[in-house]
Amino acid sequence: MASEVEEVLRGIVARVVRKPDLNFSPTATFKDYDADSLDIVQILVAIEDHYDIELQDEALQSVSNMGDFIAHVEKRIAEKG
Amino acid sequence: MAAGRKPLEGKTALVTGGSRGIGRAITLRLAADGADIIINYLRRKSAAEQTAAEVRTKGVSARVIRANLAEPEKIEAMFDEISAEFGRLDILVSNAASGVARTALELDDRGWDWTMDINARAFLLCARRAAGLMKSGGRMVAISSLGSRLAWPVYTAVGVSKAALEALVRYLAVELAPLGISVNGVAPGAVESEALRLYTGGTDLAPSSWQTTPAGRMIRAEDVAGLVAFLCTEQADMIRGQTIVIDGGVSLAPVSIPAPGQGDAISHVKP
Repeated sequence: MASEVEEVLRGIVARVVRKPDLNFSPTATFKDYDADSLDIVQILVAIEDHYDIELQDEALQSVSNMGDFIAHVEKRIAEKG
Repeated sequence: MAAGRKPLEGKTALVTGGSRGIGRAITLRLAADGADIIINYLRRKSAAEQTAAEVRTKGVSARVIRANLAEPEKIEAMFDEISAEFGRLDILVSNAASGVARTALELDDRGWDWTMDINARAFLLCARRAAGLMKSGGRMVAISSLGSRLAWPVYTAVGVSKAALEALVRYLAVELAPLGISVNGVAPGAVESEALRLYTGGTDLAPSSWQTTPAGRMIRAEDVAGLVAFLCTEQADMIRGQTIVIDGGVSLAPVSIPAPGQGDAISHVKP
């Protein structure tokens, strides 16, 4: 079952890349969704805003797919407490 | 102004994008001049909180508000919060900026919209709400860029958005003058900052082309902050609708030519 963060991310990515019927997968990359650099910034901003967290760009360098990204967001939410 | 009183004492200032770079310098300068500060930020919460902590060491209050200025409803929410908490605003510094680095022919409509929304429309929306919170003596200062009037590589969207911002400064200055609110802009040349490093990292421009000015050095964020602070004082009351260039003279002499040595002829006319 998809986690809460996955559901939120799925909605944000679909909205930002303008693909309402997005086939969201944890193994997919931003490139698979044709997300350009502006899309990625808008996705990060939307996630940060939704959870009131800060995602460090440096830490995101090691994120290779949606599953990694979800794990990173969940970690930041847990750190926030 | 009473002796010993700081020029902006008792004022409340909102600085958009006030946590880092030029915005941070403006925030700290207005705080040093006595203003209570509201710092708007988009992504770097830790930087905003760090800047706020530094503001408080100057004996004034600091409040941070996250808001994506590309979204009108977020701007509304930010001002609802300011209105509820402070009930007034004396100074608005519209500094937050973003943009896509593309040539005109590569620029797509989304990049254009994002850049225009944050750099130009946000000032209109903020000014609209700020005007309702300001009394006579209110000040608005928008941070523009020399790129509004020059053509820099891949700076199209930002340059055009800043030109729109400067036009908005003029219109707002006239429209808000009867309310006693002054509106001006500041257009810096290349400022040593993270934003400049990101921008020039995408070009093949030699660093020397950014680092040379007739005044002998690059513009610092503190130079910009000093000018903004001045525009917020009573002494600047009769400056209206102007965008003041602060660039060390580089726009007057964009090509760096070595100064002639003593006794060198400076014209082609033989003595």
